[in-house]
Amino acid sequence: MGKKLKFYPELFFTFLLTVLGFVILIVSIAYGFGSFKRPGPGLYPFFVSLIIVSSGMILLILGLKSKSSEPLFNKNTLKIFLLMFATFILWIIAMPLLGYVVITFVTTYCFCKVMRLEGWIKPLALSVGTALFIYVLFDVWLYIDLPRGILGK
Amino acid sequence: MEGWDLLLNGFVNSITVVNLVACFIGALIGTIVGVLPGLGPTATMALMLPFTLRFPPETGLIMMAGVWFGSQYGGSTTSILVNIPGEAASVVTCIDGYQMAKKGRAGAALALVAIGSFIAGTIGIIGLQFFAPFLGEAALSFGPPEYFAFMIFALVLLSNLSGDSPLKGLLMVGLGLFISSIGINPLDSYPRFTLGSNRLMLGIEFLPLAMGFFGISEILIIALETYAPPTVKKLRLKDLYPNKIEMKRSIGPTWRGSILGFLVGLLPGPCTVISTFISWSLEKRLSKTPEEFGKGAVEGVVGPESANNSAVMGSMIPLLTLGIPFAAPSAVMLAGLRMHNVEPGPLLFSTRPEIFWTFIAAMYIGNVMLIILNLPLVGLFGRIATIRPQLLMPFIGVICLVGVYSVRNSIFDVWVMIFAGVIGYFLRRWKFPVAPFIIGVVLGPMTENSVRQTLMMFKGDMTRIFNRPIALTFLSVTLAFIIFKISYFLLRRIFMTKKA
Repeated sequence: MGKKLKFYPELFFTFLLTVLGFVILIVSIAYGFGSFKRPGPGLYPFFVSLIIVSSGMILLILGLKSKSSEPLFNKNTLKIFLLMFATFILWIIAMPLLGYVVITFVTTYCFCKVMRLEGWIKPLALSVGTALFIYVLFDVWLYIDLPRGILGK
Repeated sequence: MEGWDLLLNGFVNSITVVNLVACFIGALIGTIVGVLPGLGPTATMALMLPFTLRFPPETGLIMMAGVWFGSQYGGSTTSILVNIPGEAASVVTCIDGYQMAKKGRAGAALALVAIGSFIAGTIGIIGLQFFAPFLGEAALSFGPPEYFAFMIFALVLLSNLSGDSPLKGLLMVGLGLFISSIGINPLDSYPRFTLGSNRLMLGIEFLPLAMGFFGISEILIIALETYAPPTVKKLRLKDLYPNKIEMKRSIGPTWRGSILGFLVGLLPGPCTVISTFISWSLEKRLSKTPEEFGKGAVEGVVGPESANNSAVMGSMIPLLTLGIPFAAPSAVMLAGLRMHNVEPGPLLFSTRPEIFWTFIAAMYIGNVMLIILNLPLVGLFGRIATIRPQLLMPFIGVICLVGVYSVRNSIFDVWVMIFAGVIGYFLRRWKFPVAPFIIGVVLGPMTENSVRQTLMMFKGDMTRIFNRPIALTFLSVTLAFIIFKISYFLLRRIFMTKKA
């Protein structure tokens, strides 16, 4: 049996950032350096990419020496993280359709439940209060025209 | 005399209903944010940016400075009462503040801190009032080479002083500079890193990035944490009286902390946090009874809390005189001013003096508001610390979403904020400092302009920078700092290997 491969999330993240640095480096070369007398559009990003690549590489080498494999999530926290993310996405997708007041109510309720606020009275009260506050703040006080969706004009 | 006339005008301008309300709201929200663990002043200021756009620039500046200033006052409350720092600049206060509370002197500690913070704040404002116009005038002689050298100095120090690892700081500075280079470059109208998308042609807006990195990531962190409710001791007004000895012992640390904090505020990095650590060590060194530190020494509470208040004002100097933010909250302020088409820098004092002087006057008023708010209401603020984050974070999450959308009616900005929030969560989880990234984003265009203008000015011959004494001084200090850091690292390694 071969040794089981271990995943090091922090190291992988640093690796991704370093790869991004390399991509910036290659693209900035393609943009052209110009000359020192008349610098081209690629010169500045090239130097920036050098900062990213060099610091990323050293961090990778140091990280390989002291591999820390603290798990990123457990089953429960992963579920909360994904639900939080889904709630944000829900707001983005549903806001133009439902309007900002209704979606504020729905999103606040979802956030309350994802963040383990017990029962239904507290989450409901908080959602109604937040939706009302958002309406008064944006519509009445700041006169900002936001999509009203199903509530119409 | 001109300065006093301008200040008087500033008072006349600041005593308007809008400015006074803005100052009060900023101070109140700042104090609450300081009390509540989690959400810091930077996140709150970013969150409030969309709302400040509806008011004149000075009103927005007053409100945001009120938040930053107020959070320094509020941060000490939970440190002293429940041993939980409301924000990073109050960590040191926990050491002696909570010990004082355990001895039954919590009220006295809070009162001394409030008075110390008031004195320090006033000294900071006086310093800002006198030094900023003078330095602004001096900064008029800065050309592209000086700005270039100053940027290098600021970014190198910033990456070293923020967080545990200078390399992570440097990586974050690099990423921030890269993000700022996305879009059409104004110098040659060349689109860069746009991936063919029209939306990216205008670049990535600062506001969704800041709200994502500071606001959304904080919400995610809190959502994934298990909450342990703190118990807060009830305080009565009569508990707030410090005794004569405590008052006498707090005089020296207040003055020293105020001056030290102001000077630390002039340096790049998290000045409010750094100033508290230096002040605590200084007070311990100067004390005749150093053994009391860590066991409830008055000096260990008052010194750092005075220092973090005046550091806020100190850090306003580079922002207002050079247009260069040295800390994350001042980067948010700069972004806010730019959204109002106000460019801070040496010309601010001649072109828009009313902004500076109204701000100074409002800060004097805000400081008085803060001491009035903080002394009698300390018991109430203590109780705010027990509010469960589950009740607060859903509200803040929705404010972030609607707030960022309302600025340009752009769903794209909301996507950027969510994406930045998720990335910010991982960055903070692995202790990559976020402040250098945000400052990198703000300083990016200015850095590129100064680099390219310097090269063109010197016709590609960078050795000509040796003829510019100011630029040379900044570069020499930066080089000396790098050499010091490398030698310190190597010497420590040698010492550790020998010890092993």
